[in-house]
Amino acid sequence: MTDTVGWWSLVRFLHVAGAALWVGGQLALSLVILPLARRMLTPEAKDRFVTQAGRRFGMLTGAVFLPVQLTTGWAMAWHKGVTWASLADPGYGRTLAAKLGLFAVVMLAAAGHGIAQSKGRADLARSLAVVSLVGSLGVVLLATALPAT
Amino acid sequence: MTSSYDSPARAEGHGIPLRSAGPGRSRASGLKRRHLRAHGVVVAWAALALVAATAQQSLPVARWLAIHLFLLGAVTTAIVVWSEHFAVALLHARVPDERWSDARLAGVNVAVLGVLVGVWAQWPLLTGAACALLVVAVAAHLVVLVRMGRGALGGRLAPAVGYYRAAAVALIVAAVLGWLLATGRTGADGYAGVWLAHLHVTLLGWIGLPVLGTLFMLWPTVLGVRMAEHTTRIAPRVLALTGGGLLAAVAALALGLRWVAVAGVAVYAAGVAVALELFARTLRRRRPVSAAAAWMLGVAAGWLFAGVVVDLGTLAGGPLDRAQEGVGSLVPVLLIGFVAQVLIGALTYLLPVVLARGPKERAVLRAVLERGWVVRLVVLDVGVALVVLPLDEPAATTGMVLAGVAATAFLALAVSVLARRDGEGGAARRPMLFGTTAGVVVTVLAVLLANSGGDTKGTPAAVGSGTAATTRTVDVTLTGMRVRPSRIEVSAGTALRLKVTNKDAQRHDLKVDGGPGTPLLARGGSHVLDVGTVTENLEAWCTLSGHRAAGMTLDIVVRDGASGHPDGHSALADSGGPDHSAPFSTGWRARDAALAPAPGGTVHKVELHAAHTEAEVAPGVKQQLWTFGGTAPGPTLHGRIGDVFEVTLVNDDHGMGHGIDFHAGSLAPDRPMRTIQPGERLVYRFRAERVGAWLYHCSTAPMLQHMGNGMYGAVIIDPPGLRKVDHEYALVSSELYLGTPGSAAQVAKMRQDTPDAWAFNGVAAQYAKQPLKVKAGERARFWVVAAGPSDGIAFHIVGTVFDTVYKEGAYLLKPGDPGGAQVLDLAPAQGGFVETAFPQAGHYSFVDHDMRHAEAGAHGVVEVTK
Repeated sequence: MTDTVGWWSLVRFLHVAGAALWVGGQLALSLVILPLARRMLTPEAKDRFVTQAGRRFGMLTGAVFLPVQLTTGWAMAWHKGVTWASLADPGYGRTLAAKLGLFAVVMLAAAGHGIAQSKGRADLARSLAVVSLVGSLGVVLLATALPAT
Repeated sequence: MTSSYDSPARAEGHGIPLRSAGPGRSRASGLKRRHLRAHGVVVAWAALALVAATAQQSLPVARWLAIHLFLLGAVTTAIVVWSEHFAVALLHARVPDERWSDARLAGVNVAVLGVLVGVWAQWPLLTGAACALLVVAVAAHLVVLVRMGRGALGGRLAPAVGYYRAAAVALIVAAVLGWLLATGRTGADGYAGVWLAHLHVTLLGWIGLPVLGTLFMLWPTVLGVRMAEHTTRIAPRVLALTGGGLLAAVAALALGLRWVAVAGVAVYAAGVAVALELFARTLRRRRPVSAAAAWMLGVAAGWLFAGVVVDLGTLAGGPLDRAQEGVGSLVPVLLIGFVAQVLIGALTYLLPVVLARGPKERAVLRAVLERGWVVRLVVLDVGVALVVLPLDEPAATTGMVLAGVAATAFLALAVSVLARRDGEGGAARRPMLFGTTAGVVVTVLAVLLANSGGDTKGTPAAVGSGTAATTRTVDVTLTGMRVRPSRIEVSAGTALRLKVTNKDAQRHDLKVDGGPGTPLLARGGSHVLDVGTVTENLEAWCTLSGHRAAGMTLDIVVRDGASGHPDGHSALADSGGPDHSAPFSTGWRARDAALAPAPGGTVHKVELHAAHTEAEVAPGVKQQLWTFGGTAPGPTLHGRIGDVFEVTLVNDDHGMGHGIDFHAGSLAPDRPMRTIQPGERLVYRFRAERVGAWLYHCSTAPMLQHMGNGMYGAVIIDPPGLRKVDHEYALVSSELYLGTPGSAAQVAKMRQDTPDAWAFNGVAAQYAKQPLKVKAGERARFWVVAAGPSDGIAFHIVGTVFDTVYKEGAYLLKPGDPGGAQVLDLAPAQGGFVETAFPQAGHYSFVDHDMRHAEAGAHGVVEVTK
């Protein structure tokens, strides 16, 4: 592993940047945009705006973010020589396994948020959105515990 | 006929007195809210238990946590709520003050949380306080149940309340026993009995009794038939059998009286059988009100009976510490097959009754809770069967997964029923709070998972290339609630690996502080723990609750190379073998090293018995030996040139032949050195025609093992004209091989010549503990024979110069010679003596100057006084 910018740092850059944009996007949506929308828009307009914003972010997640994270993550794991068995080893393996598990929970919560939103269960949808946000911060925490590839 | 009840409402019209939430009653809607809240708590505990259960492979404490989250959290909350609910209905009593009911329930839950955190974090004070709070809360519950009975009208089924009272007593006992276990107050010896008592009083008492009591009315209600006429008579009788049997069993288990316990469990089983027989006769060929509930309750009762019968057999089959393993393996069966299934079955029927506001809603809720019940029932019970049957590994895990899936499915249904928003009574809507809490909880779980097994700091890979790190593997045994050895000394920078083997009847693990841990090891299980490079003192312990407190700890101590003994010899304790600085057990005495003068006469008759003996061969280390005359080395024979020795060898050993070979006499080996079988004897007659310090040893193959296990001794034939000295000592040097004599591990050490210790006169470091005593200026003669079997000796006395050396038949040095000698070197089986005078008072160490040997037991002290 060299300390210069190479192909593998590009892969890692995509992985980190994708995570930053996704977590940042969630934070921006729930802390800045949606509260403003609630305050400034009429109830009907607000509902439409919230639905549209959620749909757009969901599309972005499914079409860009998720494929990029999975591809780059898988590539880095392959490059580091991670095997299924090594995921059980204490240390790196288990931290990575915990991170993957938490990421799966976050994705399930995000998907559940979309479903609940479309079914009009606003409270459940908001709860799941917060679960997804807090959980993705947890993923970032675990990621910082993993030594660089 | 069914009696009529005055209770606020009756469910289904079939006899069970249930207060359902009817429309238009404010109290009823308050009741519903409280049930919603209580069952929300039950579901939350159960869900946490499921999460902990999934982690139990990687986190040993998670198994304990899963069991207690479920039993102490979910089930205890359910029992407290429902026993009070049914007691009111059955006794036709007034509803107790709701605020106090809530306070008791809150107390129970806070106490449970305290116990769980206290044990998890190993804070014995919190554990103790929480146990005390639990006892107080449950005692208050018991008082309410007792007071409710006074002056109440009392229904036909009032005796069932007796079950709830007995159960509350059982939980109090269980809490006290649990506290004893968790804080290690039982000691290693009492652990098995108290653990079994705790298990029995919890599963069969706190949970089994109220379930049986409730089934007397719930079973016919669920079936939709009339209660059998003689239920009123049988219920108290079953309580007497189960309660009395359990009381006897628990007391006997705690005191270690196995057969009384067996009798108690048998009486309990008889009580369960009587109840089951009644339930079986209640069955009618008609469609039950709730087939799902009926099937689940029925199968669960069957698992209870099966569990109790197997438990009975296990207890009757062997001693209590052995029974732990068998009874422990029953726990998942009772937990899932009986407890979880009863809870699911009962809630399937009861939740709609208390939550619905009319028959219509009741039917809707019941339909939700019964969704897919046949599949869930089959999956759950197939899972339990896979766990209980003695199949190969994937079966048990698959079974746990199946049971977990079925339980999760019901939890999801229960959550959907509890979370139904139907206008009033809906749970507070705080999505932010809920979302944040849930998110933090999953993150914390993920971090716990990531950190399980310790960090990997200081793994060999991290050691710089400059340090010549030595790797040492130490065998560690978990047995009798102890870690053996309990102390390992290493030099700083050693890469330490522990080969951990569990030889105890129950499961253990070993976790190094801030380092790796083994998985839970069943009996015979083994795991190599890579501790990494040791740079500081470490502690390791078994993480099962209470085991550390009971003494299952291991100290890994970094030996400081610079620090030395007062006499200038650095600490003589080697790491791998026994701790030679530890004390011998009380009452131990060193073997007298003084050489007794040769007896008079020229014929010496000696009888030597070959046998197994146990002896303390190093401080605190007992070892099985094979011996001549009961000691290793055997008795030292002393005579003069020309004396005749008539030795009668008697083989008292069981199942092993022995022989003897005296190097001091010359004769045809065929007859006298033959191997004699147990019970036989032979006479070995030889004339000592030549002077020397001679070895004798067992002549039976494999001699490496016979000698390595202690069958050797010395014959000393004085040279003519030997000068008189003030003290004459005989020292036989040998190696010590610990472990079961003849075992593969021990023999491997002999073959590789890697003894656990070296010794003078059979016991490592014995003369360091009880020095030889000499006065300043006195002369002493040291006879030395190297018995081996594989190592010779370089005998040296610190601070002295030998003026006389006699080795193998000749003087190498005499007092008149100008030279001096520092070491008497002997190859295995050689002998000789040295003489010296001790000039001043002080402590003169005598050692095998091969320092590997000296530091591992081959050292002693001559204490010279004025």
